[in-house]
Amino acid sequence: MTKRAGHISIQNVTKIFARADLNSTLVALENVNMEIQPAEFVSIVGTSGCGKSTLLRIIAGLESVTFGQAYCDGEVIAGANPKRGLVFQEHSLFPWLSVRDNIAFGLRATGRYKSGADMVDRLISRVDLSEFADSYPHQLSGGMRQRVSLVRALVVSPDVLLLDEPLGALDSFTRMNIQDELLKLWNEHKNTMILITHDVDEAIYLSQRIYIMSPRPGRIVKEIPLRMSYPRNRGSSEFTVVRNEILRRLDFAKEEQEEYNL
Amino acid sequence: MAVIVTMQYKITPNLNNAATTDIYTGFILLMGLIVLVKFIRSLFSKKSFENLLEKAPLYTAGLLLFALYDYATLKTGILPLPYFPWPDRILNGIYEDWALLLDCIKNSLILLFSGYFAGAAVGLLTGLSAGLSRRVRYWVLPLVQILGPIPSTTWLPIILIAAASLFGGSVFLIALGVWYPVTMTSMQGVLNIPKANFEAARILGAGRARLLFKVALPATMPNIFQGLTQGMSVACTALMVAEMMGVESGLGWYINWQRGWAEFAKMYGAVIVICITFSVVNFLLSLIKRRVLRWQEGHWN
Repeated sequence: MTKRAGHISIQNVTKIFARADLNSTLVALENVNMEIQPAEFVSIVGTSGCGKSTLLRIIAGLESVTFGQAYCDGEVIAGANPKRGLVFQEHSLFPWLSVRDNIAFGLRATGRYKSGADMVDRLISRVDLSEFADSYPHQLSGGMRQRVSLVRALVVSPDVLLLDEPLGALDSFTRMNIQDELLKLWNEHKNTMILITHDVDEAIYLSQRIYIMSPRPGRIVKEIPLRMSYPRNRGSSEFTVVRNEILRRLDFAKEEQEEYNL
Repeated sequence: MAVIVTMQYKITPNLNNAATTDIYTGFILLMGLIVLVKFIRSLFSKKSFENLLEKAPLYTAGLLLFALYDYATLKTGILPLPYFPWPDRILNGIYEDWALLLDCIKNSLILLFSGYFAGAAVGLLTGLSAGLSRRVRYWVLPLVQILGPIPSTTWLPIILIAAASLFGGSVFLIALGVWYPVTMTSMQGVLNIPKANFEAARILGAGRARLLFKVALPATMPNIFQGLTQGMSVACTALMVAEMMGVESGLGWYINWQRGWAEFAKMYGAVIVICITFSVVNFLLSLIKRRVLRWQEGHWN
């Protein structure tokens, strides 16, 4: 078997922020450990403020760790790298660039535009946006914008795709559509996918493994492997069992947090 | 409408048998002709019809105002000479001096744009670098805060004494007036860029130069143009003051010079020419702005 790229290893990572008043600190992540295999689809769920975005930003190279170490394919993560693409929640498209130029940004930045120009058009039509190739972001709907964000991150063929609640701001129909598209793109590109979400159903529908995090300090309280085959049926009993398990865990995490506050 | 105004001009007896020419007639009839052309076009296009319908009261009022002014000056003398020359006299004044006026426009524009571009360029440099670097901001901000509120024309008397050449001094004056708003707005613009834009660019592999020229600069363009527009109005003011106070050419100088001869008609004429010149300059600026900022919301088409 050939060794594939896209392995992420988080070892005893703790992240402490200095608070605005400078006299106190905030422990965003405490002793987090994770092993994510190449081409695996993993979700991290948790209530808001549990540090899951911080964790993703550490993997992306946008934040440094306070203690511990984060590795990508055996190398310490230091700084952003096109090998690890990131899709933001919203408003990260460049408003002054057309859809095509937004998508081509990564190719130009990495000096691959000449060889990859047709890749841009292929990806645009792949997400049914050919009509809008010359439109500007403000002329698109929220769903279209997120499709562009997705494709913009994919154009540089990242080994790992980090998704920071990419569908959080969309209505449920658009969200379900894009979820299916995500699965298809994952099948085609075979990258490692790490999805942050607070939508439990979304996590179960998409991922092979789910990490549940508790807030303040952010810790991983449970890891749930899912062995259902794709495409998954949102109404199946197995789906419901897992959903209840996760919701119970999240509730539990909340109780523990209340104890912690006392 | 134009015909009526013309008849009022031609038929009503003039005060004291003052001499008149047909330039005013031609002017009014030209206005009428423009409206007539618009009317004929509106017969074929719904859009221009609606446009004309909306603007019709404005055109009528404009022509009426001419007639009223003509009546008050030429016909009855309610507004007396020499302070209120009638429209025909003003137009004749422009006509007589048109070669000199053209030269004045040329000199004014040279001075205006020399100062404007110098000020805008330096303003962009200070504004962008102050926005991007905390250390530059530390030194630039107090300077801007102290110098900014002083109207640039305040420096004129000093420049008149100290500057080696009046032209150079005036360029400096105009540039200073433009520098301030451009610096402020472009600095604010850089500080307001959403962090996600920079992060997305970094993740896609953008280096420092690309972050500066392909992210920071275009993201700041709306603010920069706000500063450029403000700067243009400051520059026009500074230009007029400089020309009236010292520079021996240009439209401001022309007005002042004609005042010396008590040529009120020509002064009014110059005001009209100034109005047209600056309107054209501002129109060109807004065209460029539209083009550059076509990606913005509300800038469809």
